[in-house]
Amino acid sequence: MKKKPRRLNKATRTIVIVFSLLLAGVGQLFAETLNGIFETRVSLAFKNETLAHAIRKIEQQSKVEFAYDPDLLGLQKLLVKEGRFTDERLDVVLKSLLQSTDISFKEEIKGTITLYKKSAKVAYGKVSGHVVDEKGEPLPGATVRLNEINKAIQTNPDGSFSIEADPGVYTLLVSFISYQTYRVPGVKIVAGETVTLGNITLVAESGSLNEVVVVGYGTQKKENLTGAVDQVTSKVLENRSLPNLTQGLQGVIPNLNLVPLDGKPIQSPSFNVRGTTSIGQGGNALVLIDGVEGDPSRINPSDVASVSVLKDASSSAIYGARAAFGVILITTKSPAKEKTSITYSFNQSFKSPTTVPQLVTNGYTFAKMFNEAWTAANNYSQTPQNINKTVKFSPEYLAELKRRDADPSLPKVEVNQNGEYVYYANTDWYKELYKNHNASREHNLAISGNSGKADFLITGRYFAQDGLFRYNSDDYSIYNLRAKGSLQVFPWLRIYNNADYSNMKYHNPLNVGEGGGIWRNLADEGHTVAPMFNPDGTLTYSAAYTVGDFVYGKNGIDFDNRVFRNTTGFNTSFFDDVFRVKGDFTFQNTDNNQDRKRVPVPYSRKPGVIEYVGTNYNDLENMNQSTQYVATNFYGEYEPKLGKDHHFKALAGFNFEQSTFQKLDLVRNGLIFPDATDINLALGQSITTAGGYDRWDVMGGFYRLNYSYKDRYLVEADGRYDGSSKFPSDQRYAFFPSVSAGWRVTNEPFWTMSKDIISDLKIRGSYGSLGNGSIKSYAFQEQFSIRQSGRVLNGVRPQITNQPGVLPDGLTWETATVENLGVDMGFLAGRLTLTADGYIRKTKDMFTVGNTLPAVFGTTVPKGNYADMQTKGWEVTIAWRDKFDVGAKPFNYGFRATLADYQSTITKYNNPDKNLSDPNKSLTDQTYYVGEKVGEIWGFVTNGYFTSAADIANSPKQNLIKASGASDLLPGDIKFKDLNGDGVIDYGNQTVNKPGDRKIIGNNTPRYTFGFGMDADWNSFFFSAFFQGVGKRDWYPGSEADYFWGQYNRPYNKVPVSQLDKIWSESNPNAYFPRYRGYSAQNGSNELAQAQTKYLQNAAYVRLKNIQLGYHLPLSLIKKIKLGDARVFVSGENLWTWSPLYKITKDIDPESINGSDRVLTDGTNGNGNNYPILKSITLGVSATF
Amino acid sequence: MFIQRIKSIKTYLYICLIGCIAVSCKKLDQVPQSTATGAAVFGSTSGLELYTSSFYNILPNADTIPIFRADAMSDFGARTSYPDFLRPGFFDARQSSGWNWNDLRNFNYFIQNCNNPNISLAQRQHYIGLARFFRAWFYFDKVKRFGDVPWIGKPMAINDPALFNGRDSRTLVIDSVIADLDYACKYITTNDNTRSLVTKYVAYAFKSRVCLFEGTFRKYHDEYKLQGSANALLSQAADAAQKVMTEGGFSLNTAGGLDKAYRQLFITQAPVASEDILVSVVDPALGIFSDANWYWTSATYGDRLSLTRTFVNTYLNIDGTPFTNKPGYQTMTFNQEVKGRDMRLQQTIRMGSYQRLNGGTPEAAPPVFSYTYTGYQPMKWTQDDVSLDGGKKSTNSMPLIRYAEILLNYAEAKAELGTLNDGDWNQTVGALRRRAGITGNTSSKPLTVDPYLQTNYFPAIADPSILEIRRERGIELALEGFRFYDLVRWKRGPLMDQIWNGFYVPALDVPMDLNDDGVLDVCFYKVMPANPVKGVTYVNVAETISGGTPNPQRLSHDTYGELTWLTTIPKKWDDKFYLYPIPETDRLLNPKLGQNPGW
Repeated sequence: MKKKPRRLNKATRTIVIVFSLLLAGVGQLFAETLNGIFETRVSLAFKNETLAHAIRKIEQQSKVEFAYDPDLLGLQKLLVKEGRFTDERLDVVLKSLLQSTDISFKEEIKGTITLYKKSAKVAYGKVSGHVVDEKGEPLPGATVRLNEINKAIQTNPDGSFSIEADPGVYTLLVSFISYQTYRVPGVKIVAGETVTLGNITLVAESGSLNEVVVVGYGTQKKENLTGAVDQVTSKVLENRSLPNLTQGLQGVIPNLNLVPLDGKPIQSPSFNVRGTTSIGQGGNALVLIDGVEGDPSRINPSDVASVSVLKDASSSAIYGARAAFGVILITTKSPAKEKTSITYSFNQSFKSPTTVPQLVTNGYTFAKMFNEAWTAANNYSQTPQNINKTVKFSPEYLAELKRRDADPSLPKVEVNQNGEYVYYANTDWYKELYKNHNASREHNLAISGNSGKADFLITGRYFAQDGLFRYNSDDYSIYNLRAKGSLQVFPWLRIYNNADYSNMKYHNPLNVGEGGGIWRNLADEGHTVAPMFNPDGTLTYSAAYTVGDFVYGKNGIDFDNRVFRNTTGFNTSFFDDVFRVKGDFTFQNTDNNQDRKRVPVPYSRKPGVIEYVGTNYNDLENMNQSTQYVATNFYGEYEPKLGKDHHFKALAGFNFEQSTFQKLDLVRNGLIFPDATDINLALGQSITTAGGYDRWDVMGGFYRLNYSYKDRYLVEADGRYDGSSKFPSDQRYAFFPSVSAGWRVTNEPFWTMSKDIISDLKIRGSYGSLGNGSIKSYAFQEQFSIRQSGRVLNGVRPQITNQPGVLPDGLTWETATVENLGVDMGFLAGRLTLTADGYIRKTKDMFTVGNTLPAVFGTTVPKGNYADMQTKGWEVTIAWRDKFDVGAKPFNYGFRATLADYQSTITKYNNPDKNLSDPNKSLTDQTYYVGEKVGEIWGFVTNGYFTSAADIANSPKQNLIKASGASDLLPGDIKFKDLNGDGVIDYGNQTVNKPGDRKIIGNNTPRYTFGFGMDADWNSFFFSAFFQGVGKRDWYPGSEADYFWGQYNRPYNKVPVSQLDKIWSESNPNAYFPRYRGYSAQNGSNELAQAQTKYLQNAAYVRLKNIQLGYHLPLSLIKKIKLGDARVFVSGENLWTWSPLYKITKDIDPESINGSDRVLTDGTNGNGNNYPILKSITLGVSATF
Repeated sequence: MFIQRIKSIKTYLYICLIGCIAVSCKKLDQVPQSTATGAAVFGSTSGLELYTSSFYNILPNADTIPIFRADAMSDFGARTSYPDFLRPGFFDARQSSGWNWNDLRNFNYFIQNCNNPNISLAQRQHYIGLARFFRAWFYFDKVKRFGDVPWIGKPMAINDPALFNGRDSRTLVIDSVIADLDYACKYITTNDNTRSLVTKYVAYAFKSRVCLFEGTFRKYHDEYKLQGSANALLSQAADAAQKVMTEGGFSLNTAGGLDKAYRQLFITQAPVASEDILVSVVDPALGIFSDANWYWTSATYGDRLSLTRTFVNTYLNIDGTPFTNKPGYQTMTFNQEVKGRDMRLQQTIRMGSYQRLNGGTPEAAPPVFSYTYTGYQPMKWTQDDVSLDGGKKSTNSMPLIRYAEILLNYAEAKAELGTLNDGDWNQTVGALRRRAGITGNTSSKPLTVDPYLQTNYFPAIADPSILEIRRERGIELALEGFRFYDLVRWKRGPLMDQIWNGFYVPALDVPMDLNDDGVLDVCFYKVMPANPVKGVTYVNVAETISGGTPNPQRLSHDTYGELTWLTTIPKKWDDKFYLYPIPETDRLLNPKLGQNPGW
């Protein structure tokens, strides 16, 4: 057959594909076209020969490849006319030769001339349609391609196309610069018929000016935007294994700051837009799902069509008082147009922690270093008697450990003369704690249909992630169900309904011995020398306090959280769409329930004797929390048709919302057996009941006016009159207006520069002011709170109440005023786009502490609207998108880089003396002063180590800072610089002007947050990679950061392997860490607990957040099983990270340096002592029927 | 067409109407429902009960400074390090604390608002009595710590100029405290056998404590020139104590026998109702525990507080004669010297046949040198079961006021007044001594001075009764949080300079058996022996330890003698330590507060 040479060619091309993907961007190699194939000149003479022979002659001389089937064309039977050609063009020669035959030629594949039979009347079929953008406007010049035969045409000026092909089933690809390629799988072409696909809507690439951006109560083309709005589409969430949506949005939008507090699957950080919001009431961005407030962690990531971030006051003003610090609009997908489809996808992930601390697992080394650290903390005068609470210690024991370490054949457990177990183990507790990897799987099903008048979309998801813990596994699962549909009741009325249900379950194991997270407990009692089990299978004392509790497997909190919400609404359109009225009503029931069980854990210190830790509990807790929320919006739009030059649109409406929270918390002890799960089986007399109630209403009227002239001058005014039940009646209502304007310079007549260089230039500016309504309910009402006493009075623990807080005088709104200046630019015919914004946000009248009063006032000084702050920041997005042909098929690729920064400065605060800590509170409490850059770290300057007794005697006195515990200074202890030269190292009077020997040594604000993404697709392959990180951030490891400090924290903590060669000794005087002493980082007055220059860490990082490679299976393979489209992919999350912190330790994930377990503690049990962030590899498949 | 148009407009209007109803102009008033209002709290006795139950949070319990830790700063206790408060250069007004006034406002707010006429006057007076009792408790603490303090009798508004007042004299404050206590004594009507609530007799008992403190303080701190008012206070102390003795129905606990009755008070969960007057109750059934065992056994968790030998020497012989009359007492070894003593000694420190329960098995428990620095390791507050040692697991309730103190208050007040008679002695100190197994000299007051006690502790006191009462107070109330302020009121701060000495070690390198059970326990060395005896704790008493630093653990004669601890740290009592400094930040806020002398 004639296919032979083509096949060969295809094989070569496959290699080319692989190369081109690997060297994405080096495609130029293959872009070299042989457009001159017919210009090849030949000199030939023909005479009485067959056509077959003649062609061979041409082939030989021209070196051009021909593809043909000699038998089919009957070349052997045809004779050529006599002729002579001298240096003639190839096409002229061929034309002459084939003149009287029914054979024709063409260059079907580049570089190859195909000969075919003209008259073979193949019955073609046709496929036709219209390509439009999201606003329904035609897109001329878009490329429509039948993928299997690689036949492509461009759309006409009205966006229409019609393409011919042999009968068969094809995949249609529609692509256009700055739009996402649209894939229509399973297009069936029938001979002689025309398949009409109707409108094919292309969605603009994120960032391009064509993009249709979701804004408050509507949408707008990015080119017409005047506010600061950024948007990403579902693309950033595809093919990833995400326990919840929030975890997938990290880093994708500049200055949408999502900082995970740890790696738990239930972890969903609050949404922050553009940095520090308010140091008073605080406040996060308002998150709306399909226009109504909702919890983003509970929705199905696959349901999300787009996520839009309204950053400045002008774009968020329409949402009023809860939008002072930005708005996140999450829009869910709509039913597919004009067809019915079923899509099922499945993925399986394998996860493991990004970091597992590398700790010394040799029992003897651990014990030896414990002994040293402990003794040093006690002035080298005593030897420890215990390793914390659970292992007995003596010099004798240490010697025995050494002996047994040298002779591993000796038993690891003995029983001593008192009948107690003695251990000589080498336990790797983290190996006992974590599985090697944990798995997650996700099923997603979407059924969509559309009859024109009615449409529906039903999606369901099941995501389950096995726990990371080897025992008492913290399993997570979530079900989502969404049913969405609409009905065109009258030509002018469409009603719709959108129902959403989710059920999230999580088991959070806990340690009953001491409470708190497992990590802190492991540091405290998971001693390397102690094994998990005794020879008789009982738990050891150390185990019972730590992983043994998990082995026992009864203690934990079960979360069972459900959200049901339903929105019903209508859209109307009158007078030829000049006037539209829309309304919706939503109710949402959120149930967040927690059941906790704490029963004592048995262990054995002596063979046959069982004792228990956690005897103080033995209880069950049932906590039910429910929030009933209703919201309604009602608004009208007026958009008159004013002719070509003027465009005007007005929107006005009304919003009402009410939220009612109720809680019932019940704890009772005395379980009759440890497996009891129902509170009926708790018979003890320690009974705690607690209620809870909170209700607020907000109500507001809003408007937006848009006017543009000749698409050059754009003006928008927004505003809202808002009322909130949280304020006293005289302050209840407030009006928040804003304005913005844009100038599209490139639309000016004077703009003559070619669109190929600068295709677009728009300058935007906005100004607006918003109130911050995120104040606690009832803040202005006197309340006597009731709680249970921690004391036994007359045989019970009574309920108590006490003096109410002093009420604030004249409470009013905090306001955030934002000035924003932005520019949108397109270069090189839209291939390169740039969006940049700079802003100043002034948060005024923040609800903060009043003037410090003498302590005799006797209660907290009421807060008031006393403080101001200014946040300055900027964000830039640069995107490049282009395509070129590789092997005659388009290779689409793009890059997107974002960079953002902000910094906040206090401009007003009640602290005239500029105290660095609140005088009425402890040293560590936060206070602010005018001029402070938020996040400042005050500390000492490290001046090396003391080198000798003489050095200590001659150096400034450091009495207030101890080496550790009761100890005196020795060589190897830290010397601080006497900044004020007074001969004493101290804190001065703790004010900015007299800070003693401290100064600002750093700032913990994450600066220069960046994201960098790239993606490419070619033929049926797609690839993307996304990096994310922080450019600058200082971090001082806290006093419980035991992964960082090891035994400098507590002497019985474990030893990081990385520390071993970094510890000071006389032979290693320049080591990173000072003289080995326990508690020196833990106790607030000790040397390492002082923030100081030497141990201040650079916690900047860059992380490969996601990388993925996928492939659409060829239609020929899948059409047999009636699939329209099927793709397979492999995707990786958090696979690579780098941070300057790694120079000191890799045991801490720079993204998770914040605090400890947020479920079991308030986060103050040590930096990094938390659930690890996971990395994962995901394999997935998706099929559409 | 027209009809249709009308219809559609009608529908449209309906929709508008429904919309308007849905969002109908609601009033944005919301009231809290999970908290109470002032009217509810002050309008019923259960509301008053609810409020007054919060007052108890001022009392020590397992979570605030527990009473069993309160003697950590005392002359008789050696511990890990010398308190920073007493170390020159380690403590000044900037480190000072304790200037917290939140509790006071809570009491004053109650007193001001408890005026609802729907509640009977008697009931209101009862609850106000409680508030005033606790206000007195609050102010007694403040006066002890700071001397002069502002007297505040009402909750102040944010702009009250009195916020910036200076301090009131201690005489004014104490007068007010006594007035509060007199009110409390008069009106509190509570009856309580659980010993957890404040009753009339709690108020009387506390009044005797306050008046004795202030009476003796004024008498001995002649620099205040308030001696003239001392006797009146001492009389009130004696009267209040007598009220408890005659009407209160309390008695010394003797259950458990001579060798156990005393310690029962500190290691049992149920308060000993006969002797306890006010108790901070621990109850496992209600999930309330203390960490007493942890504190008293852990080498890392607590202060590792041990008694000094100078103090232990004051425990009398069982026949009532001073131990220090015995010839050669100075060189007696531990196992010998503890024999035949006041039976409170064996109920206060580990010695002799003291055993603990380890996994249900009794086990000898000599002093351990990973805890004690002197050898006199307290176990008064330690429950015997070893499994309670780590963590907050102890189940012993903590007496805050007990009858023994009232007897001592009475005796001391009478002795200071010069009106103590044999009968008084017999029913106070005598009774306490008899309960401790002492056989001699319990029925009549002593007539001779014990030179050891006088020389070592109170050289200025010549009255044998006062001396013996002070001995008795030290022993009976040891480790219950009285000692430092007893020294303060007796103006005996210099006792804090005493060397922290331990038991006598006759020789280096000779393992000692501390509890006569035939098992060697501890050995002191300067050079670690090559072949240590198994099971013996070796303690280094060489001049220096690793790195050349001076060794804080030594023997008084280098190779033999009394153990000494932390003589490496210079100690010097300064009379300014009788009062804490006003915290610097508070003084800056209100300079009128002034500062205490010497700070």
